[in-house]
Amino acid sequence: MFTRFEEYAATQMLGQPDSPPRREGKLFFSEEWQRTVFGMALALSKQGHFEWDDFRQNLIDNIAAWEQAAYDGKSRWDYYERYTMALIAVLEQCGILKPGELEQQMTPDEANK
Amino acid sequence: MVALFDYEENREAASAAKVRALEALLIKKGVLGSDSVDAVLKHFETVAGPFNGARIVARAWVDPAYKRRLLDDTPKAIAELSFPGMTGAEGEHMKAVANSESVHNLIICTLCSCYPWPVLGLPPYWYKDPVFRSRGVREPRAVLREFGVLIPAEKEVKVWDSSAQIRWFVIPERPANSEHLNETQLAALVTPEAMMGVALVPAPPATEGI
Repeated sequence: MFTRFEEYAATQMLGQPDSPPRREGKLFFSEEWQRTVFGMALALSKQGHFEWDDFRQNLIDNIAAWEQAAYDGKSRWDYYERYTMALIAVLEQCGILKPGELEQQMTPDEANK
Repeated sequence: MVALFDYEENREAASAAKVRALEALLIKKGVLGSDSVDAVLKHFETVAGPFNGARIVARAWVDPAYKRRLLDDTPKAIAELSFPGMTGAEGEHMKAVANSESVHNLIICTLCSCYPWPVLGLPPYWYKDPVFRSRGVREPRAVLREFGVLIPAEKEVKVWDSSAQIRWFVIPERPANSEHLNETQLAALVTPEAMMGVALVPAPPATEGI
């Protein structure tokens, strides 16, 4: 029983593989961009641009892809990096972003990083 | 193997740049308001975020009259401490129960993982676990033991099932050797787990010269 979208959204993830990092009952962000991307996904879904479950499915798929990647050369675990990839994927699925559009927006230097 | 240890130093910077570009692009498209991210996060940071419960417990420990008011009329007693966002719907249905020498309280939610967000912040991951929820009712002592809380046989264990109507939280027992601590120091000892009854508040480390 949730009266707030924010609480519904965060609670849906609890105990699931896509649950966000927490510390002492609070969401834990080590960098400002993590906070921003977390809030962006919530705000966009709250406004109705995509279903929260569709975003979560992308996140779960992204996390699974990392888990299944070969050990050799595997990048270090970074929850919010996966979260960012999932947000871009769901935005492409619902037509808000065209594939490759974000890269065009970024400077060549940033996009190559 | 080299790649494993070859942690890209600019990976954080790359993620930050990507998120910045995404935010700018979405604002430009008119999909995202320039303040909508902050508005959503504000909910977590002021209403559901801070662990306000610790201050409530510490006040109850130092002020027996406050503790009585907290047990009698929980929302009213919480309102005395004037936390931001405490007027939310969830906050109004809270009820405190106190641990004592003879009773230990455990909070679960068998139906839908209702949780007193304004007091305890984000629930821990296991709170929604159906196994925890069902076993908490059936064998609370065994569940508590797994959390490292050993309840003597002579002590009663009461299990409270939170619902949309009432969201329970526990006032844990004040630990031994905490007489010299002030309210702020006491609050620092309290954890969300202790306020759900799956942990005790440990005694503070002994201070030199006392």
